[in-house]
Amino acid sequence: MRYWLLINQSLKAIFVNKVRSLLTVLGIVIGIASIISLVSLGEGVKVSISDRILALGASNLTVVPGAVAGARTLDPTKAPSQTRGFTLSTSSLTEKDVQSLADRKRHPHIKYISGEITGSTIVKTDRGDKRFPVLGVSPDYFAINNLTIERGRSLDQSHVDEGANVLVLGNQLAADLYGNRDPIGATLNIEGTEYEVIGVFKPAEESGLANPNIQAYIPYTSAMETFNSLNFNFIYIQATDESVVPSLKQDIRKTLLKNHQIQNSSLADFTVISSGDILSAVDSITDILTSMLTGIAAISLLVGGIGIMNIMLVSVSERTREIGLRKAVGARTVDILNQFLIEAVLLTLTGGILGIALGFMIARASESYLGFTPIVTFNTILLAVGASTMVGLVFGVYPAVKASRLNPIDALRYE
Amino acid sequence: MEHIIEMKGISKVYKTGDEDTVALQDVDLTVTRGEFLAIMGPSGSGKSTLMHIIGLLDRPTAGQYLLEGRDVSRLNDSSLARLRNQKIGFVFQQFNLLPRTTVLGNVLLPTIYGRLKNSRSRAFEVIEEVGLSDRVNHTSNQLSGGQMQRVAIARALIMNPDIILADEPTGNLDSKRSLEIIDLFKKINSRGATVIIITHEEHIARNANRTIRLLDGKIVANAERIA
Ligand SMILES: Nc1ncnc2c1ncn2[C@@H]1O[C@H](COP(=O)(O)OP(=O)(O)O)[C@@H](O)[C@H]1O
Ligand SMILES: [Mg+2]
Repeated sequence: MRYWLLINQSLKAIFVNKVRSLLTVLGIVIGIASIISLVSLGEGVKVSISDRILALGASNLTVVPGAVAGARTLDPTKAPSQTRGFTLSTSSLTEKDVQSLADRKRHPHIKYISGEITGSTIVKTDRGDKRFPVLGVSPDYFAINNLTIERGRSLDQSHVDEGANVLVLGNQLAADLYGNRDPIGATLNIEGTEYEVIGVFKPAEESGLANPNIQAYIPYTSAMETFNSLNFNFIYIQATDESVVPSLKQDIRKTLLKNHQIQNSSLADFTVISSGDILSAVDSITDILTSMLTGIAAISLLVGGIGIMNIMLVSVSERTREIGLRKAVGARTVDILNQFLIEAVLLTLTGGILGIALGFMIARASESYLGFTPIVTFNTILLAVGASTMVGLVFGVYPAVKASRLNPIDALRYE
Repeated sequence: MEHIIEMKGISKVYKTGDEDTVALQDVDLTVTRGEFLAIMGPSGSGKSTLMHIIGLLDRPTAGQYLLEGRDVSRLNDSSLARLRNQKIGFVFQQFNLLPRTTVLGNVLLPTIYGRLKNSRSRAFEVIEEVGLSDRVNHTSNQLSGGQMQRVAIARALIMNPDIILADEPTGNLDSKRSLEIIDLFKKINSRGATVIIITHEEHIARNANRTIRLLDGKIVANAERIA
């Protein structure tokens, strides 16, 4: 069999009837374009979030109050509740927890540790009222988050010990509040307490899910007073090395369970999360989203496939005499079957290639709107080519079988 | 002389609804290699049915058919397709060319389904033989009826078949073109191919070595032409 002649003929037929072919494969084009753009967006989101999480540092751990998975909080007063200004007045994470974890003898693998009391405030500026987050932290917090001083000085241990009302500004926040003026020495009223600005951080890379440049930082001891909160919203820990993270995670759990006098670890009122945990959670969420959206796009492929079947059936009846003739010159049943399958697949594949190009352009065009780069991988293209071939095969089978079963004599007589 | 076709007691019955149509009834026919045979008879007398059975496009309901001495009744469909490809060339009244396809593409069609060495040069050869060398790249809709039938003949010739079967090949042509086509068949026959044509016209049949006449599915006359 010299099928390249057939393929050549079919390709010519597709290109001679450009408009008809394009209309026929439009459903496939749209379906494949949606799959390409959605999957590449999904990949792009994944990578951009992963980058942010890895920017947190692979050796970083976070303790959050409450149980994240399968949470069964028996005492409703211990349920994590988000109230006024983002403070969790009933958080389970105490100063004692931070102190016992900070014990270098018991936890030699902890390099830095800081609790965080998350508050926020509103101040009046030249450009109207402005709300911004105020975090009560220890000096270790800045080491964990790679924040370094640009002007003035940072918080130190003595500020924490004294509960000093001093404040360091993120770079962007300093500009927003003070413009070109020097903020050092200025006072800011945070929820009724006067704080002195003692420093401004350098611009820091946005890491995690918060922007460190638009936050203000005060000693956690002062935050306890100002925000009337005894407990931490988070505890941030940096391990001495990435390799100790899994075992350190267990150590932290043990210490906190003991502190909280919980015997059954499944009833823990806190969760220790590593960057790896967040990564896999984000991955599974984006995977679910991507496959859901791809499923929707697949419906368009289905509709496109029905269009292909329709046009192939029309083609079979238009070309009944041709089929009879081919049989007369020696085509076997299987040759006719293959011919119509090849034609259907060439059609859908053409649609698939156009769809890949279109999806690529959509992904590219959306880049500027989204602020992250969609990623078209080889696998995505393989998926698109595979999907369009499958559609051609599945929806081409019925017309092809119909064509191949035609009796040559009836076909030649057909008017 | 070798009998290229030997048929004994061939019958063909079509079942249409509850009525049976007897298209051929107990036909005996022997054709010698290299013969030029004409089949005549009124419309509906079974000429095309006989030709389809000879050309392995259809199977008889009863009877024995030996093609080059070989019983073809037991062959499966793909073997029959192979024999059609290698041994038989069909020419139809309605030309049956592929639309929007060049003369060359049409002539090459049988080579998709069977092995042929140097198929392109062979295609040019048969196109030359039917006198269309200057039309190789014309598409079929750019040709006149006579030219289309020449393309169909070139297509029938390309695989070097032993038998050329033509079902009213001049039925759609004026008398001048008809004579040209008949001359072509005579030329093909003179090179050794067995040619069988169905025709309504006596002056066409007169070119054959022998004429058989069908009536209601039976051979009613079988006459050699005395040269
Ligand atoms: N596929 C078919 N089904 C039913 N009857 C048929 C079929 N093909 C041919 N016939 C019948 O068989 C008879 C012979 O037909 P045909 O061989 O085409 O005659 P001719 O070619 O001599 O005009 C006619 O009566 C025709 O109606
Ligand atoms: Mg007929």
